[in-house]
Amino acid sequence: MRLASLRHSTPFRLALTFGVLFIVTFIVSGAVMYHMLSAGLARQMDASLHEMNSVIASTYAPDDMEDLVATLNSYVNLQTTKDGLYSLVDPKGVRLAGNFTAIRMRPGIYTIKPEDIGLPGSGRFRIEVTQLGPNMLVVGESFSDMDDLLRIVLVSLGWAAVLVVVAALGGGIFLAARAQHRLDAVARTMLDVSNGRLDSRIPLQGRSDDLDRVGMQINSALDRLSGMVEGMRQVSADIAHELKTPLNRLKMTLDDAIRGAARGRDVGQLLADARAESNQINATFEALLRISQIEAGARRQRFQNVDLTEILTFVEEVYASVAEDNGQALNLLPSPIAAFQVQGDKELLTQMVVNLVENAINHCPPGTRIDMSLVSAHAEIVLRVADNGPGVPAEERDKVFRRLYRLDKSRTTPGSGLGLSLVRAIADLHSAHIGLADNAPGLAVTVSFQSV
Amino acid sequence: MRILLVEDDRKTSEYVAKGFAEAGHSCDVLGDGRDGLFQAQRESYDVLVVDRMLPGLDGLSIVRSLRAARVGTPALFLTSVGGVDDRVEGLEAGGDDYLVKPFAFSELLARVNALARRPPVQEQKTVLKVADLELDLIRREARRAGQVIELQPREFTLLEVLMRGEGRVMTKTMLLERVWDFHFDPKTSVVETHVSRLRAKIDKPFQAQLLHTVRNTGYSLHAPR
Repeated sequence: MRLASLRHSTPFRLALTFGVLFIVTFIVSGAVMYHMLSAGLARQMDASLHEMNSVIASTYAPDDMEDLVATLNSYVNLQTTKDGLYSLVDPKGVRLAGNFTAIRMRPGIYTIKPEDIGLPGSGRFRIEVTQLGPNMLVVGESFSDMDDLLRIVLVSLGWAAVLVVVAALGGGIFLAARAQHRLDAVARTMLDVSNGRLDSRIPLQGRSDDLDRVGMQINSALDRLSGMVEGMRQVSADIAHELKTPLNRLKMTLDDAIRGAARGRDVGQLLADARAESNQINATFEALLRISQIEAGARRQRFQNVDLTEILTFVEEVYASVAEDNGQALNLLPSPIAAFQVQGDKELLTQMVVNLVENAINHCPPGTRIDMSLVSAHAEIVLRVADNGPGVPAEERDKVFRRLYRLDKSRTTPGSGLGLSLVRAIADLHSAHIGLADNAPGLAVTVSFQSV
Repeated sequence: MRILLVEDDRKTSEYVAKGFAEAGHSCDVLGDGRDGLFQAQRESYDVLVVDRMLPGLDGLSIVRSLRAARVGTPALFLTSVGGVDDRVEGLEAGGDDYLVKPFAFSELLARVNALARRPPVQEQKTVLKVADLELDLIRREARRAGQVIELQPREFTLLEVLMRGEGRVMTKTMLLERVWDFHFDPKTSVVETHVSRLRAKIDKPFQAQLLHTVRNTGYSLHAPR
């Protein structure tokens, strides 16, 4: 991966941000630790200095300096390094004991350099000055032990910091590169798809992590999308094919009329035929438009509680006489439940039932019985329109929902082959499941709604 | 009757204007939405026929602006998309009727006639009368020559719509919309069936025919001429 592209990669930026945050945190906490350690050590040093000073001072008696001098000198002799400062001077500035001659100072604790008190050498010392009667006691200790310790701490902190930086940046880049690799796979797939390869899918790691979940969702969206595109391709091919026939018929009729008019014949009937043909073509387009509008789903926003019983009662009222005139019988079977409420669009649901009933009326011979019914089962409301007419062969039952599909290949019965597609679109809009079954004999269409 | 047609497709507007002229109406044609709005406000028309999609200003906005300016001229929308949402939008904007393209001229003429003669203020008539046929809207009762006629509720509505449009042609589509609230084309003879049943009740037993079939267009209820 190139650095330029890394700069714009989200995982890398995240890793870098967290790495920097981690390093800064480590440095700050190291500094705090160092500061607290040195402060603690200084306090401890003061305490031990004071304790030593007290021990030495306790040997002082105003009339006998022997003990004090002996103690002080034994401290001087006992010390392993040359780090301790011990001095007892009389009021005249003469050293009574110790390893250096202190100049006169006021009692207290000081941090000094050797030259401050007229000594050679370097480094810093902590001294405590006490007044013992007329004499002055100075006890001091070098900072060198503490400085050594702090230096060790600092060096180890430094090494740790190097490790942290390397681990944070290296690990971050490693993890980022892995995430980036998978994101690149997603991007590659989408590029493939936009280039027209609709069967391209995002490779999954099988770890069901977030990237896999997103990948799965995109893949299933792609599945649906490619299904829809395939369907659309199919439909536009069907439409083009289906409309060629009536357009050709229209053209032939008009040709006839033109020829007839040229010979002075009456062409009124031919023109009426042409108009009827063009009306049929218009109706087909109208129905196609309506289906696609319904499929767009905007009407779902206007869903309300709809009583299916009311719709069936209305359809029965309107169509019973139409069926009767056709020598058929349309019945609404009684149901023990008074109302079947679903969320839906009343106008569209009415049209759906009308289409089913008209289908039965148009495709069944006289003497047919058409029954509408509503039943409630397993949290579902099942609307059923059944007839005892010729029925639909089992192998055709899936195809009848396809746009422009006609069971009657000779096309002697009225219809555009869109009625059931519209029924399907309306059912889909209502998340209802539609099924065709053998009514033995005849056809039973069921539309299963989820109850409110 | 004076009609203003706002339509940008030349072929359609020529066809419609010619039809209106032949029917004895005067028709002004404009192709631009803004011109249409201006003209509709300046002159007094009986009916406006407005295309939904227009250059300058769309049909919906024209009617909305007119209604905002308290111009109550009845307006009919011509739409090329007959989706329910478009229809509802048109009626909500203040349109009085709509017609989906492509349309038959007889359908447009019938609707324009129905719009123009619609009384400006709906009188609260309780009894409709055509010749010796009476429809009592309060008692929900039909009577002809003094004889009570039994009607189904929907037959009653059908007769009411026909009687309110007395002397005018009611197309099948208009009846489907107004009686059954169907905004789609049924594939069976719903209208014919119900009209013939109504006719059997109100016309058959009597001498003079009131309910007439207008060929290729629809039905008209009027006294014998």
